[in-house]
Amino acid sequence: MKEKKYQGIQKAFVCFLFLLVLSACQAQNDTSETRTALLKTTNPSAVTTENKAEEEQLVAKIKQKVLSMKEIYDVAVIKGEKEILVAYKVRHLQRFHMKKIEKNLQEKLEKAYPDENFSVSSDYKIFLEAVRLQEKSEHGKVTRDEMEEQLGKIFKLSKEKT
Amino acid sequence: MAKKKKTAEQKEYAKIEQKHELKRPVLRNCIVAFLVGGTICMIGQAVTYFYIYFFNFTEQTASNPTVATMIFFSMLLTGFGIYDHLGQFSGAGSAVPVTGFGNSVISAAIEHRTEGFVLGVGANMFKLAGTVILFGVFSAFVVALIKTILVQWVGI
Repeated sequence: MKEKKYQGIQKAFVCFLFLLVLSACQAQNDTSETRTALLKTTNPSAVTTENKAEEEQLVAKIKQKVLSMKEIYDVAVIKGEKEILVAYKVRHLQRFHMKKIEKNLQEKLEKAYPDENFSVSSDYKIFLEAVRLQEKSEHGKVTRDEMEEQLGKIFKLSKEKT
Repeated sequence: MAKKKKTAEQKEYAKIEQKHELKRPVLRNCIVAFLVGGTICMIGQAVTYFYIYFFNFTEQTASNPTVATMIFFSMLLTGFGIYDHLGQFSGAGSAVPVTGFGNSVISAAIEHRTEGFVLGVGANMFKLAGTVILFGVFSAFVVALIKTILVQWVGI
């Protein structure tokens, strides 16, 4: 009998720990748009750190260019000072050709815009962070420098290897 | 080794044996293993998304903490005696994913607990899981060696 009692306490303790671990990370204040960014088509508008009309036109064009590839259905474009981040989602059955798509996209973009530096990524994490940054900039919550810094962090993350 | 010819009695016995032997439910085993193994992997996928979403892990790097977490879960479940029932029910479905590794470590540790910590738990803990580690490391070494040779010298 005594053993059973202990077992119950142990189980409750583990459940409690588990909940603690899970709930400790709920502090992020994402909008519902960002929360479902991994599951649904988000279609975030392309943004730049500079607030110039020509730059905004450029990123909008890049976005259209990427979306014109039929394997890709969702893309986030963020232009920084030196580099342009292109994070995209690939249609599920096309995920077998992930490497090829990435190569094609890089070539296509570099051919179309030879003066720009592109960093393309199909990683969900990069996409998620890009959407978060885009939302923030759209609501005017970040300054230019903060955005540049956050973008630098994303670039660093995208280059990380196992 | 050549097969010995069966004597008349042995043939007789084989007939009787065949009549009484239970048929292995191969199809049922496969389906159950598929479903349970798939469910475990689905939980693993959820854990991966959890790490991507709340921590600084990309899709590539998130697999490391996911494996550790899944092993941790199966170790807990083994300790509480839940995983044994699952293994009994689903066979390969619960043994093939990494969770089976955690199960084999902890179940061996529990089994030899009575023999003491050093000669019991310490010596026997990796009785089953040791093969996984040994051949895992060895095959990783061989694959890496082949890849290095191909990339460095042949230049593919």
